[in-house]
Amino acid sequence: MNKITYFASETWASLRKNLILAVAAIAVVAVSLGILALVVMGWNMFSNMIKSAERKVGEIDVYLSDLTMEEERQAIEAYLVSIPEVDPLQVTYKDKETALQEFKERFKDQPELWEYLTENPLPNSYELSTKDPKDVGVVVGEISNNAPYRERIEDIKSASGAIEKLENIFDKFRQIGIIGVIALAIISILLVSVTIQVAIFARRREIGIMKLVGATNWFIRWPFLLEGVFEGLLGSIVAILVSWAVKVWILDKLIDNLQFLRLSLSSSLLWVLFPCMIVGGIIIGALGSAYALGRFLEV
Amino acid sequence: MIRMRRVTKVYKGNVYALEDVTVDIERGEFAFLVGPSGSGKSTFIKLLIKEEEPTGGQIYIADTNINQLRKWKVPYLRRKIGCVFQDFKLLPHKTVYQNVAYAMEVTGKSHRIAEQQVPEVLKLVGLGHKLESFPDELSGGEQQRVAIARAFINRPPILLADEPTGNVDPSLADGVVRLLEKINDSGTTVIMATHDKQIVNTFRKRVIAMENGRIIRDQDRGVYGYE
Ligand SMILES: Nc1ncnc2c1ncn2[C@@H]1O[C@H](COP(=O)(O)OP(=O)(O)O)[C@@H](O)[C@H]1O
Ligand SMILES: [Mg+2]
Repeated sequence: MNKITYFASETWASLRKNLILAVAAIAVVAVSLGILALVVMGWNMFSNMIKSAERKVGEIDVYLSDLTMEEERQAIEAYLVSIPEVDPLQVTYKDKETALQEFKERFKDQPELWEYLTENPLPNSYELSTKDPKDVGVVVGEISNNAPYRERIEDIKSASGAIEKLENIFDKFRQIGIIGVIALAIISILLVSVTIQVAIFARRREIGIMKLVGATNWFIRWPFLLEGVFEGLLGSIVAILVSWAVKVWILDKLIDNLQFLRLSLSSSLLWVLFPCMIVGGIIIGALGSAYALGRFLEV
Repeated sequence: MIRMRRVTKVYKGNVYALEDVTVDIERGEFAFLVGPSGSGKSTFIKLLIKEEEPTGGQIYIADTNINQLRKWKVPYLRRKIGCVFQDFKLLPHKTVYQNVAYAMEVTGKSHRIAEQQVPEVLKLVGLGHKLESFPDELSGGEQQRVAIARAFINRPPILLADEPTGNVDPSLADGVVRLLEKINDSGTTVIMATHDKQIVNTFRKRVIAMENGRIIRDQDRGVYGYE
């Protein structure tokens, strides 16, 4: 208890002395963790949007005519399963009743779309996935050229190019985001380490005296380590507050106003993201002070 | 208590600060280390607290070869050796009490023990009434007494003093050395480096005289003896 109050008061006194630098370090930690939060939230919203899209990248729907006979259907199924690029475990038959059920479920908020139907306009279909999403074009071509009972296949649909492009763009966004976060994290570590170096320099006389009277290395290091960790922690708290504000005032509004995009943010995400940010802040602070201590505190 | 065997210290630039120094200092002794400035007195003391490493030779303290001492054990060595310097090395923003208590805190002792012992030791050095003063409110002699109290607070078996009277008014210097004598009487081995001829000649202790890094004379109840 004694020691804890000692370390805490030393840390606080030192922080106050180089306030400007400490604030700068805290701000940069906050910016890097805040950008991390934005990337993660943006990525989550986007992947939720993709998930709710009709067809995902790599999926193909094959619609059958209502005239298809049972043995024709079986022949077509056998053929689909045998295409090498197709994942044979991901070929599923969906009959028209199921399709209508799913349609009603999906548009249950807009009953005017299905209430007045007298007969089921939806076809029987196969849903299949390619082993590798980039083979979609090949498989679509293969089916339209070589399928048995070709005249029974009314339509072949795959994820639109738009979704594919979006996914590529978001992959880039994620990559740039991750690189940016790493770069900013390194800058924050360096900045925290500068504040600790200044703190060490300001107290070099005291450190010399501590060594003289027999302080152990860790006794000397602890307040500095704590100072860095405290800066990291404070930065992460700022980042959490800011990302929470961004979520409440921007993202939630976006989700409400752009309903047609089917945006959503998984609510459990923040319960994982925020603790991770705190841990991240603490690690940045600890690494920053460890770096400064390793280089500038000869003990 | 302290044994040096053929100890040599060469600083960068081929400066021989100590050359082939062999000496024994027994438990409870009081020794003056004398010699002109640059003769190697401070280096002698720095080697004992491992602030510098010897270039050659062996140093034993209480039968431990400190050359082989692991780095993490150095703080524990220093707790057994109190140190006093010409420039006092007090922390200006701490009070007299805090400066002394600091040396206890650093070794992990509780506030309660410090509250008991610090005023006691400050009374011993004659500063029982100045607990709350800051160093710059004290004379050089008083500051040096605070430093001595700090060096003695953990009851080290050895006390090293490097020119402790150097920044003390000559009329008060005797008092500082008498204090060291008092500490020596309690059983602590004291080594005091000095080039204050008058003090050495007054106190008549063992004198280890150095010149150019070598011991040129070692005599009990000796005198300063340089021109
Ligand atoms: N850190 C150092 N680097 C280089 N030379 C040093 C260093 N410290 C002391 N010296 C040299 O070593 C010699 C002995 O110095 P020192 O031990 O301080 O003597 P004293 O305390 O008797 O004045 C001197 O010539 C001094 O210039
Ligand atoms: Mg000297």
